[in-house]
Amino acid sequence: MHASAFNLAVVGYVCATGLALAYLIQREEIVHRLAVLATLAAWALHTLGLISLAVETGRPPLGTLPGSVSMAVWVVVLLDVWVERHYGVKVLGAFVLPVVLILSFKTMVGPAGLVQIGPTLGGAWVWVHIALATVGIAAFVLNFAGAVMYILQERQLKAKRPGAFYYRLPALETLDRLTYRTLALGFPFLTVGLILGALWAGTAWGSVFTFDPMALFSFVAWAIYALTLAGRAAAGWHGRRAAYFAVVGFAALVVTLGAGLFLPGRHGS
Amino acid sequence: MALFVAGLNHRTAPVELREQLAVEEDKLRELLRDAQGAGIADELVLLCTCNRVEVYGVAEVPGETRAAVFRRLCRHRGVDPASVEALLYTHLDVDAVHHAFRVAASLDSMMVGEPQILGQVKDGFALAQACETVGPTLHTLFTQAFAVAKKVRTETEIGHHAVSVSFAAVELARKIFTGLGGKAVLLVGAGQMGELAARHLVEQGAFPIYVVNRTWSRAQEMARALSGTAMPFDELSTALASVDIVITSTGASEPVIRRETVQQIMHGRRGRPLFFIDIAVPRDVDATVDTLDDVYCYDIDDLKQVVDANIRERAREAQRAETLVEREVAKFRARLADVEVIPTIVSLRERLEGIREGEVRKALARLPEASAETRAAMEALSSAIVNKILHAPITKLRESSRAGAGRSWTELVHELFNLGRRT
Repeated sequence: MHASAFNLAVVGYVCATGLALAYLIQREEIVHRLAVLATLAAWALHTLGLISLAVETGRPPLGTLPGSVSMAVWVVVLLDVWVERHYGVKVLGAFVLPVVLILSFKTMVGPAGLVQIGPTLGGAWVWVHIALATVGIAAFVLNFAGAVMYILQERQLKAKRPGAFYYRLPALETLDRLTYRTLALGFPFLTVGLILGALWAGTAWGSVFTFDPMALFSFVAWAIYALTLAGRAAAGWHGRRAAYFAVVGFAALVVTLGAGLFLPGRHGS
Repeated sequence: MALFVAGLNHRTAPVELREQLAVEEDKLRELLRDAQGAGIADELVLLCTCNRVEVYGVAEVPGETRAAVFRRLCRHRGVDPASVEALLYTHLDVDAVHHAFRVAASLDSMMVGEPQILGQVKDGFALAQACETVGPTLHTLFTQAFAVAKKVRTETEIGHHAVSVSFAAVELARKIFTGLGGKAVLLVGAGQMGELAARHLVEQGAFPIYVVNRTWSRAQEMARALSGTAMPFDELSTALASVDIVITSTGASEPVIRRETVQQIMHGRRGRPLFFIDIAVPRDVDATVDTLDDVYCYDIDDLKQVVDANIRERAREAQRAETLVEREVAKFRARLADVEVIPTIVSLRERLEGIREGEVRKALARLPEASAETRAAMEALSSAIVNKILHAPITKLRESSRAGAGRSWTELVHELFNLGRRT
């Protein structure tokens, strides 16, 4: 049940991404409306999949890394729709949905792994660790999208040759605010998530720093985001520099997830 | 009877001639009344702007109406009708509808998407209505043209993207700042275009406005005009530090805003962007200022480049608008076809109804003792017969007119039922 719901949801996300990109090129109001509809339909199917997965396994659908990435995607889409409305950034989907698609292909297509957290992975803390990291990742997907839009718009304004992005993207101030807020939202979640993970690793595996590729890369990503946030809050970083850091931080986050999904290690599937 | 539009516009006629033929409202009114009296058309609307002189009408022979109207216009302005005749275009029926929709939607304008034309078309229509030269066909045509124009405006971006330098500057500001409400503006120099740009910013909510000028009295005067504050010229850098948008239009031969000054003030702004609109020639803002982070500096050439890009963007939107208009024309054809046959259907109904009433009255006169029930039955019976007879011809009329053959069928019906002259 959950597998077919997930597969259908991915089909929906493919359609939504296609429509969102089409809206970027051809600004037909109807295309945007269809993109939002497709997104919501896919999201509903996704929700159904997550619920049925939880019912089938008797646990929250966060027990495996693909499961929690799928959960992160679910949060991203929710945030995307909300931010699109709240900030009036109708083209946001064109920047967020491709990321959603990449994240959902590995984690939602095909028979979803039902491998669950093993005997060492018990206790409530590990769930909290996963849940917090999930929300953090979701916020950083939007942070990345905002940063990419900022870089594109800033480049157009500096070049003084208005192109497609100049007409479609919102004001620099709006985009800078969006990246700052998503950073401020994602960072505490990521931080507490990582601390819980480390503490818990210490008790379960005997050492905080047993070699695990995902744990390693996640600290790199965290450090980049910490630096960006500190720079923003204390040194007045903003705009282009903050946007570049957001892109680098997200790259580290993607490597982290890739390491967890593809490399052997304690997070591995 | 044919719907047509005939006239000249900015593409077919030189501006001198258009100016000559752009007659005032009083004269148009006189012309409409005169045309009405002379019976040169069944319906008539005149559209007269600086870019077009057009006659929309419904007439038996459109060519004659066209010639008659333009002969009168030319006579009024002392222009040789023969020279005008060669420049005129005429569109009939569906083509006339298409033309009317394109004109109202500003697709036929010199500056595609300019908003004034719709108002001018509305004025022309209202004038004709006041002169009672608008009949059912033109009424349907124009009300639909207004609806299409509105649709084009909301569904495409044909009217977006500034085509003037001062509006382009305002749009740029909106791509830097989330909103212009509460953004401080500094106006340096007293150029007219600078004042215009400042005015546009004020309309968008920019506040407060500071004015700096080498001539103190001029600064005060300008500040009053913009409800701003005048500041002495040597406080320019202080003013720079606190504002978001700077408009410069001085006559100075050297830049009045130097890189070092801007670099210095940017430190204290914590990333608040600064937008320079430099309308002066030679430029007032040092060209290297632009390389500083968070500083956006557009000189007059840059702004013109933006305007050019905007015009191209509008042209792309115009393509979409054309498709939309074509769809609307197709829809309208069906309605227009109905308009064409409706008068015939109405007179046919009246004719048969008249016969029915007359015959029922006669019959009842011969039956004075008839009960109320009998009377009602007779009414019902005769009405049913009339309706049954009418059904087939009415359906046929509607169908044929939608297929484009309405005219011959209405004529036939008029002949057969002796309905008199068609209106």
